Order: sequence, then structure tokens, then C-alpha cells
Amino acid sequence: MAVSGFVPPGRMPIEDLADRFGLTAMQMKIFRRYHKLGEVARDPHGSLLDLLRGAVGGLEALRGQEHRVRYVLHARTFPTVVPYPHNPVHELCQEVGLGHATVLAVGHHACASGLLAIDTAGRLLDADADPDGLALVLAGEKAFTGEAQMVRDTSFFGEGASACLVARSGERDRLLSYATDLRGEFDTDVEEVALEFQRVYADTLAAAIQAAVERAGLRMDAIGLIVPHNVNHVAWHQVCRTLDYPRDRVVLDNVATVGHLFCADTFVNYRTAQERGLLRPGEPYVMAAAGAGLGAAFSAMAFQH
Amino acid sequence: MTERDTALTAIDPALREQLVDNICSLLPHVLKREVTGATADTTLMEALGMSSTTGLELVLELEERLELEISVEELGRGDFGTVGSLADYIAGNLVPEA
Repeated sequence: MAVSGFVPPGRMPIEDLADRFGLTAMQMKIFRRYHKLGEVARDPHGSLLDLLRGAVGGLEALRGQEHRVRYVLHARTFPTVVPYPHNPVHELCQEVGLGHATVLAVGHHACASGLLAIDTAGRLLDADADPDGLALVLAGEKAFTGEAQMVRDTSFFGEGASACLVARSGERDRLLSYATDLRGEFDTDVEEVALEFQRVYADTLAAAIQAAVERAGLRMDAIGLIVPHNVNHVAWHQVCRTLDYPRDRVVLDNVATVGHLFCADTFVNYRTAQERGLLRPGEPYVMAAAGAGLGAAFSAMAFQH
Repeated sequence: MTERDTALTAIDPALREQLVDNICSLLPHVLKREVTGATADTTLMEALGMSSTTGLELVLELEERLELEISVEELGRGDFGTVGSLADYIAGNLVPEA
């Protein structure tokens, strides 16, 4: 698997969103001080196609291999990411020489759909039993509706994108295992259920991480790094407490500066980890994300760099 | 024994009591409803239905009321167990005035 990330240069302080959502000064203080959210990435004049183009443009491993790409998957937090009849993924494929590939969207795991798409890509390639076949997994969305801008009491969405080239086998990074816990009982607006979701969030995400690590035949102390989604700091600190895992080995660098990039977080954070030299050859690490919408998904993948 | 355990053993009982009283008196404000009979043993989430965000708001309100600064770096879900456990956390995590 090869990974690239793209975050546009525009930034918006979260305070600029306070009026739109009727947030109080106290709520903003909580976001800043506890959740450690500060700015969100925005590309006010750009489209989803621009974001995805930025990510694919940075994917060096794709150069010259376009003809091998059988599938292009777009992992989505929200089922609808552009107004009808636009189809930026098809447009992108035409632009970059992937017009021959089968294009599909992968969703319904909310912000954990990026990991689902990696698993799906591997399964599709495996089913073809074609040793040359590749799949391109894209993620990234526009914060173009109210619910695509803020998760109540939890996070703000930012704009960015990622692109991953997936092969059936290869040297690195190798997927070792995948664990996902789907919790349909959270498909409701009932306040008590929302509170229950908050109560179990960190433990359930921690359990998904633990399950992925165990399925890989490893223990948590072998995991060099957790590459997270950018929901906020508080949630990840609680996951670290539950797992007894050092929080300085969770790549939270981008939470305050770009926000929660839908399904693209983990991949953009992977690039940050790579740039900081945090990924060591041969060392296992975990990518993890959780999301809620119509139900909730808690997912983790163990990889070897 | 961890550093945190050491901090807990050094908590001034009078300070803890003062914090418990202030937390109880702030509960109606942050929960936006009447709350009677709260004590150090009252559970915040189970008995009072407090959300994690409301819990964080309570800590910030307490800072403003008492003109204190509270380090929130180690503040976790377990500290929001009861009024008393939150008071213990706060008492052990006050940032000394510069």
C-alpha cells in the first residue's frame, strides 16, 4: 500500500463557525481547551474534484501503473458528497488515465469507511486473483452542509483528501488484520442513547484496536504507533488510558490545525508520521477510526511498515 | 505508587469539601434543571445524566467561580464518576499561580 495526502492551504478558525451553529463561548472554550481543536482546513473556491486531484497528484507510486488499476473506490463519511448530477470521481478517473477502472463508493461506516474501503479493495483484488491488479482508494469530502461541518459536542470537519494504492501483496506497508465493530443500536436521536454512545465510545474503539492487534498475532506493546482519525484529543486520551498506551505515540499533530478530514484523516496522518520519521521498517502500527451517523462503526487495522 | 496516587493522598480535606460544595451548587446551572440532595457520592453520569461535554463545562465554570486554574491534561472519564471523584481530581491538579 502506498499513501498520499492532500490538505488545501486555507484555514478557518473554529470560532467562525460558532454563529452558524449557535455555539456559546463556553462550548467554544471546551473545543479549544479540551478537544484541542483550533482551525479547520478549507478550500472555499475549490471542489471535491480539486481535493481528490491533489491527493492523486501526490501519489508517486501510481505513475506509470495506471493501466494496472482495476478498481477506484471512494470512501465516504456521508452517502451524498456532491449535488446531483456531478460525479467527481468519474471525472478524476478520466483525467488521470483511469477511465478503464471500475468505480464505486464505499460508505455506511461513517468516518471509518476509509478502512472499510482498504479491506474492500483487498477483497476485490483477491477475488480476481490477478497478481498485477491494483486498486486506488480515495477519501475526502467537502464540508458543504451543516452536518458535514460539525459533529455536535465532538468535532469540526475539515477539507482534505487522501489516495492509497492497494496491491494484493507486496513488501510494505502490509495489512496484517482488520477489526470492525458495527453498533446499529446507535441509529437514533434519543438523548439517552447519545449519552450511552459517548460513554462507550473510547472503550469500544480501544476494543477494536485490541481486536485488530490480536488478530495480527501481536500484543499492544509491539505496536509502535497509532495513526488515528482526527475526532479530538479528549477521545484519544481516553482510548490511551483504556489501552494503557502512551499518548505521545498517537499521531494527533493535525487535530488542531486541519480538523476532522472525514475518512481521509488516518491517511493524511500516516503521511505526517512518515514525514516525522515515526514509521520504522518492519514495525507494526495501527490505523483506527470511528464514526457515527445512522449507527456507529469502530474500526482498526494493523499494518507492518 | 504513581505520581497521581501521591497527589491524591496529599489532598487537603477542607479544599475537597469546598470543591464538593461548589460542584453541587453549580450542577443546576450546567444541567439547566433543578438538582437537589447532591453529595460527594452522587454519580454524575448515571444519577444525573450528565454528558461528557457538560462535565467539561462544569470544570470550566468552577475555574471561573473560584478563580483557579485546573490542569485538564490528565482529566479522564473515571474522574467524572462522582462529585467526589471530580473534586479529588481538581484538588490534585490545581495549577499554582505564577
